Amino acid sequence: MKFRVRHRSTLAYGTPVAKAQFNLLLTPRPFAHQTLLEHTLALDPEPQTRRALEGPYLVNTTRIQFTGELEKLAIASEFTIRNVAPPPPASGPPIAVVRSEALAQRDLSESSPAPFLFGSRIAALEKEIGAWGARSLTEESCIVAATGALGGALYREFAYDTRATTTRTPPAEAFAARAGVCQDFAHIMIIALRSAGIPSAYVSGYLLTRPPPGRAKLVGADAMHAWVAVWCGAALGWVHYDPTNDRFAGADHIAIGMGRDYADVAPITGTFIGASPQTLSSGVDVELVEDGAD
Amino acid sequence: MTGSAGSDPAGVYEPDLLGPDPREQPLAHYTAPDHRGDLFLGAPDETARQWRALAAGLARQHGGDFAGLQAQLDRHVADLGLGFRIAGDKEERPWPLGPMPILVGAREWDAVAAGLVQRANLLEAVIADLYGPQKLVAEGAIPPAIVSGSHNFARRMVGITPPGGYFLHVCAVDLARGPNGEWRVLADRVSAAIGIGYCHENRLALARTTGGLLAEIGARAHSGFFDMLRRGMAGHCVNSNPGGGDPSMALLTPGRFNQFYAEQAHLARQLGFALVEGRDLTVSDGALYARTIEGLKRIDGVWRWITTRDLDPMHFDSRSRIGVPDIVGAATQGLAMSNWPGVGVVESRAMAAFLPRLAHRVLDTDLALPNTATWWCGGEAERVHVLADLDRLMVGSAFGQRAAGLTGTAMMSGESLSEDERDTLAAAMERRPMDYVGQEIVHLSTTPTVSQGRLEARGFTLRAFLARDGAGEWVVLDGGFGRTTHTPGMPTTSIGLGESASDVCIVDTERRPAPSVPLKTASQTVRRDPGLLPSQAADNLYWLGRYGERAQQTARIVRVLLDWSARLGEAEARTAPPADGEVPSTTDRVARLLVRLGAAANDDTHAACRAIARSALAEKELPGSAAALVKREQRIALLLRDRLQRDAWRTLHRAVPGLAGEPEGKGLAAICDRLAERGAAVAGLMDHRMARAPAWRFYDLGLRIERASIVLQAAQCLIPGRASANDLAALLDIVDAQGVYRARYLAMPYIARVYDLVLLDPAIPGGLMHQLERIERHLSALPTVRSDGMPDPPLAALRQLKAQTQSSAAHELGTLTIGEWREGLGDLGREVGARFFLEPAAPEQPTTRLLA
Repeated sequence: MKFRVRHRSTLAYGTPVAKAQFNLLLTPRPFAHQTLLEHTLALDPEPQTRRALEGPYLVNTTRIQFTGELEKLAIASEFTIRNVAPPPPASGPPIAVVRSEALAQRDLSESSPAPFLFGSRIAALEKEIGAWGARSLTEESCIVAATGALGGALYREFAYDTRATTTRTPPAEAFAARAGVCQDFAHIMIIALRSAGIPSAYVSGYLLTRPPPGRAKLVGADAMHAWVAVWCGAALGWVHYDPTNDRFAGADHIAIGMGRDYADVAPITGTFIGASPQTLSSGVDVELVEDGAD
Repeated sequence: MTGSAGSDPAGVYEPDLLGPDPREQPLAHYTAPDHRGDLFLGAPDETARQWRALAAGLARQHGGDFAGLQAQLDRHVADLGLGFRIAGDKEERPWPLGPMPILVGAREWDAVAAGLVQRANLLEAVIADLYGPQKLVAEGAIPPAIVSGSHNFARRMVGITPPGGYFLHVCAVDLARGPNGEWRVLADRVSAAIGIGYCHENRLALARTTGGLLAEIGARAHSGFFDMLRRGMAGHCVNSNPGGGDPSMALLTPGRFNQFYAEQAHLARQLGFALVEGRDLTVSDGALYARTIEGLKRIDGVWRWITTRDLDPMHFDSRSRIGVPDIVGAATQGLAMSNWPGVGVVESRAMAAFLPRLAHRVLDTDLALPNTATWWCGGEAERVHVLADLDRLMVGSAFGQRAAGLTGTAMMSGESLSEDERDTLAAAMERRPMDYVGQEIVHLSTTPTVSQGRLEARGFTLRAFLARDGAGEWVVLDGGFGRTTHTPGMPTTSIGLGESASDVCIVDTERRPAPSVPLKTASQTVRRDPGLLPSQAADNLYWLGRYGERAQQTARIVRVLLDWSARLGEAEARTAPPADGEVPSTTDRVARLLVRLGAAANDDTHAACRAIARSALAEKELPGSAAALVKREQRIALLLRDRLQRDAWRTLHRAVPGLAGEPEGKGLAAICDRLAERGAAVAGLMDHRMARAPAWRFYDLGLRIERASIVLQAAQCLIPGRASANDLAALLDIVDAQGVYRARYLAMPYIARVYDLVLLDPAIPGGLMHQLERIERHLSALPTVRSDGMPDPPLAALRQLKAQTQSSAAHELGTLTIGEWREGLGDLGREVGARFFLEPAAPEQPTTRLLA
């Protein structure tokens, strides 16, 4: 399948701010089953410096700096990408084997399991989440089935509720409320997996939303999405699972980057000098350009 | 004289019967649980002699009374400002330093030092590999999880080499000495060499308490080490100073709420580094600058005391509010940074498990100083061993984090775990084995320590420090930061340490000539520029001057109130509200001034003078009371620790007797006197001891603006309506001009004459015109940022105000004019703030300043 994604964001300040600089993580990194065909990142106004960097996790970073004053910044990321559906995952080894295989890898790179074994800033290990996840993640069960079981439990027991949390709500609170959005579900699932010693990562990206039959799709109705990548042993590697929709990721999951939690892949972060509050508005549009397998 | 000279007042001591007098030979009766494992009892003869000489010398200081010695030392510690806070502390507490240092013989120490250098080289090599080719990981010598598990691992730094060539410039290493005299490394600390400043201050405090005693017994001095450290840190930076002057160095602190702020301030002063916070700094075109009163000033090297995570919101945690955006970018382009971000990855307990093997692989030799034997449970065999041998081991988290089945983050003895706790731990370890380590229990040597006035054997550990010199070679500090256990008995690392610190003295058997700094390597450039004054420091100095002056003036006004209430007698001294048309009494007018200054509540003017005086002095809830002002002044002084001269610091922080209690009667006047004297002493010390540089000018500027403001307010409160001779006399008292008035006029006060003295005559040091002249001198001397030759806005505002006052005649003055002048003074204060100080901080730090 081939997609066209348009992601526009506008940052605005009440009074102009000085020395604004940002890290933009909007350019997709190549993943298995996913090929970036073309990408543009348009900025208005144009910053004084602009540098493309890789990393530090599985992300592309564009670092921009403004030396003068800035009142408003428009960021338009547009790209075309070709996805093929990943094969249905095999059952994979038992959890205990995945755990020891993860520790045995002699690799520290951003796609190796080691960085994703430990609690991170947002996805800190929580006893309650670990205990909850342990019900699905028994030692003998095979990793892929266990992932599905854990995701299924999450889907059944948690309510999708955009008003229950904000982007800053800690996972433990979303867990206690048994409600949240994709970001919360991904973090909770990651904490549960890591509590069992299974490497798991936060994936940010987009998902094609299909309009109800007979209706036209609303432009800009889409949003960014997040799901989980689970390291399923040396042979299978990373398998993507979407707890919000209770299924393994398909060709319609368009990944931008992968990190330990949201903080590693947050699309726009930055600093500026000034006492003015910052407002962010954004719109996402995912369009299916070409259907079917290529 | 009788024959009793020299005898013990408490009774004649008979040495033949009881052995040596413990007051002369305090170590004669000293015992330890294991003699071989005691630093004194097990020492070679020559070192033991030095121990005895030291103990006898210390005993002589206070006639054999170690408790008295402790009290004296405590005062020196407090005078040095040697505070620290434990998490949750609101105020700093003094560091408890024991009077008995730990003596280590030079021969023993030199072997330890060689081991420390080897270890630092090993750590450097490991760090360079982890942030470079990662060969040690690829070859299986370092499991990747012990790297990624450390919260100090900064993935962002992989592939970046420090331009100066070194990741490490300063290291701290915790050491333990075992019962057989073997030394062991307990922990490596490379993120921040916490304790290095305390160690130096410990020595200063002890040296002051004991006179020349330390030098007499042959203790090696610390001098030299800090000079090497400074040159090492500056050694590889791109020096922005023309003509080969010293590079500009700064110590980057997390701020005054950091528990080690006192230590950082001390180090900055000791080393001549500018003490800066993140918001003092900015990066522009790849170079680092400090915001100073002269605009942006280049910084060539930084000693960072901020964690890597908080250091740079563009490279690490974007939520950091104390860091400097893109400072890492500047570091890759020539800014020297000690230590390099991310070095802390080698500090973890898990890493220690691999260092003995890494020594073989990297250095091709054994570790000269073994570390505590450690087993990382991420390995199957190691986990089995730790669980099987739990009774004889310590167990803890691999990276110092919290982990399931463990209480807290410190190592705990396996033996102490109940059957249930063991099962829980084993199950947790099964799920996340990489989170745990086991360690051997380390037995400690003992050392003589003063406990309840006697010398007792206590276990000790020692934090040693190393730094690179200008040539990049490691230099070990001869000494360290000692800590002793608080309970007697056979000490081990499983007991934990008390909060008591000790100086560590390395003693030579023969006196060595003091190592002098070779003159050739030291820069000999002569300079007179005052160094960097960050805007924030200027801001603090200014407010230190204002609050100090305000506190002093408030006390003096209270004294005037008390004097006049006594003079006028009870009936008139009531400060009751005047009935319609009635003229307010003198005491009523003074009370109104106190209300206006925030030192008395508005309804207090109905109260008796004494009640007003008491609240104006001691009521902490009133923002303008002397007690509240002194508190604020002291808080600001904490931020200026690196800039205040020692006597001024001590005077500022000394408690004002009586102020904290419930002062009554004559006590009130006495407090006024003490506060006035205290204020004068601080201002005098600042005036006499501070270099005539911008720092002094900002302090004095604050003081003068405050004094001018109070004079105007006093005139506004005392004169309006029909001012009586008493009212005018009280005003002269406040300005301290009674004597001059009488000498000039030989008559009762007359209003135009009083106006002239108080407001217009530049010869009166407490009057308005004198302040304006001083302010003008300061503003003219401060650096300008304008290139067009026009005065900066503060100077323009001052000149406008001064012109108004100078063109006024005393006969024509009225309350309206005085009100205008006060507004002019307010404008001047705002212009000073806008020109020289930082923009107000982000909204999460609400400014609660009382003065405007």
